[in-house]
Amino acid sequence: MAATRPDRFPGFDAASQWRHWDAATAGVVMKRLGPPPPIRYFTPDEQSTAVALCDRLLDLEPDCPVPVVAMIDSRLAEAETDGWRYEDMPEDGRAWSVSLAGLKSDAVERFRIPFAELDPPSQNSIIGAVRKLGSDAWHGLPADHVWSLWTRYACTAFYGHPFGWNEIGFPGPAYPSGYKNLGLDAREPREKADEGGA
Amino acid sequence: MSGVRDRNASAWLLPNDGTRTNHRLRRDMRRFEDADEVDAVVVGCGAGGSVMLQRLARRGWHVVGFDAGPFWDPDTDWVSDEAGSHHLYWTEPRVISGSDPVPMGSNNSGRGVGGSMVHFAGYAPRLHPSDFRTLSQDGVGADWPIRYEALRPYYTEIEQELPVAGDFWPWGDPHPYPHRPHRVSGNGDVFMRGAAKLGITTKVGPVAIPNGRFGNRPHCIYRGFCLQGCKVNAKASPLITHVPDALAHGAEIRADCMVTRVEVDEHTGLATGVHYLKDGRRRFQRARIVIVAGYSIETPRLLLNSASKRFPEGLCNDFDQVGRYLMVQGAPQTAGRFDEEVRMYKAPPPEVVSEDFYETDPGKPYRRGFAIQNVSPLPITWAEHVAAQGHWGADLRERMSDYVHWACLGALCEFLSGADNRVTLSRQTDRNGLPVADFSYSQTDNDKMLMKAARGVMEEILHAAGADDVITIGRYAHLVGGARMAADERHGVVDSDCRTFAVRNLYIADGSVLPTQGSANPALTIMAVAARAADRLTG
Repeated sequence: MAATRPDRFPGFDAASQWRHWDAATAGVVMKRLGPPPPIRYFTPDEQSTAVALCDRLLDLEPDCPVPVVAMIDSRLAEAETDGWRYEDMPEDGRAWSVSLAGLKSDAVERFRIPFAELDPPSQNSIIGAVRKLGSDAWHGLPADHVWSLWTRYACTAFYGHPFGWNEIGFPGPAYPSGYKNLGLDAREPREKADEGGA
Repeated sequence: MSGVRDRNASAWLLPNDGTRTNHRLRRDMRRFEDADEVDAVVVGCGAGGSVMLQRLARRGWHVVGFDAGPFWDPDTDWVSDEAGSHHLYWTEPRVISGSDPVPMGSNNSGRGVGGSMVHFAGYAPRLHPSDFRTLSQDGVGADWPIRYEALRPYYTEIEQELPVAGDFWPWGDPHPYPHRPHRVSGNGDVFMRGAAKLGITTKVGPVAIPNGRFGNRPHCIYRGFCLQGCKVNAKASPLITHVPDALAHGAEIRADCMVTRVEVDEHTGLATGVHYLKDGRRRFQRARIVIVAGYSIETPRLLLNSASKRFPEGLCNDFDQVGRYLMVQGAPQTAGRFDEEVRMYKAPPPEVVSEDFYETDPGKPYRRGFAIQNVSPLPITWAEHVAAQGHWGADLRERMSDYVHWACLGALCEFLSGADNRVTLSRQTDRNGLPVADFSYSQTDNDKMLMKAARGVMEEILHAAGADDVITIGRYAHLVGGARMAADERHGVVDSDCRTFAVRNLYIADGSVLPTQGSANPALTIMAVAARAADRLTG
């Protein structure tokens, strides 16, 4: 299960400022709060594995409003890659499919249950094993490049979403307002002090 | 600074009504026919290409600039958001290989008019005089066929045109900047505090953001999204520093046009124009002179894709020089945690720099050196830092929630050029059927020692400033080389005037001609080299 986390910035809501953002930015960011695009790239089987993987990679709460897998699927369907791939990795979409199949087969081999049906600690042990492989091969792919693929896509989805910003005290867009109060411990009225740090 | 407007009126050609694009200038832009033999075509409208266009148009040349990406409008096309800025990068497929493959994308590629300067941080330092003779002085790298002094007047010119703000610069060739240094944020404070305790010299700047209004460009609003394209028109990019003046002097810019091949006449041995794709249609623009400015990956790729009977291994590649000696800088980033809130996302990421470690130190086992600069990763990039430490799951979320307490420094380590660090053509093709670039990169022992030394200094600075925890992520930044300038055709692709050795009316005017890179961000040098090449070309 997801850990309970202290709310370090209680009441802080980056998206509440949307009226102060420029139209182009507000359109792009607020769309993320609406319904996610339909799944187009992942098969239902891949989708179930991807959801379980991202739940564990980001320790997502069951009611987390960030549609991480839908956001990843959307990028893959539109081939919105980072503009490069490792020579020893297939294209990103294919790499996702192969690695999700790898997780499924590891789960069946070790627990005789598909990855998505496993309990979180067992899922964590399978994911953790991939991480520990370093540059060794895992289902024909270098494990560290698979790890890089997973974490890049998952973190981009989660920390591109206002829910992720609220948790870390990041106010998001800043145009046309900008910042006036620069310096250590200096805040704008729209920023909120960390109440759970230090 | 009178005189800037007289020679480059770009900043005065922008609107002053709160919008950022002079649509009329673009609508009224001169348009040439494919069948017109224009004086020059320029392939790529980034740092080098845009300066070329502006300089040539000013001298009355008929010029057309091509760019594979869009003609940006900051108001509608750019957002104040990290994930929403993906379209600023070159995201067409590329393959990376070698023992230390270099990820591309957001870090070091551009697309569209303005090139990668659209999303560069804004640091605009000069190279040092020593960078032009590292081989004779330090026994590593290469000597340029020109000296620093040949570029000095162009550095000064471009610094005025961007313009650059900063403290008087004590390193390399000491010089002032046309604009006073900017205010610094908590991130810069931490750097200066730690460095002062250790006796390391720091200076504010040099940053290509005017301090105050410049023409119709407004003051910076310190919003921190320099890497996502400046919606304010404060940070310099050729889109606002050179393209407007080029258009006003009759240049045409053909955006969304991918140049696929440079044509060379078999009998005369001269370039006759470029093949390009527009809306899926194959077209050919005739030209008296062809200037390639596609940067270190696409310039070699275009030359290699322009093979012919005369140049079976690729255009200008008689001596197997095309694509070689491609360089990146080692750019480890070290972050430190402070009890105070730093909020490094505020203010432009470029703030404070030290070049105390730039030159070769005879007491060290490595040659050449590194610069240290503030960097300020936004949340997605910061998550990559944290994930790179091996954190995931609940651990990752918890560490990420500490974001506002972290300050970050980045080093630029001068990695040495190597013949095998190069672009070749992959078997993979893009949607146009053209082979994509395969960029192979491997580090040397010297490179690795520099990375380690830079990390050590950054950790010391952050600890001295009071950090209770530090983390480092290894990474790369910038690209130069791939079609370097040399004394002769056995050692490079172009001569000191950026003219290719093999084809007398074919030029290269971008970062790929640099034989060394120093520990400086390359944008200013690329522009200065292009400005000099334009002068040499027009006599």
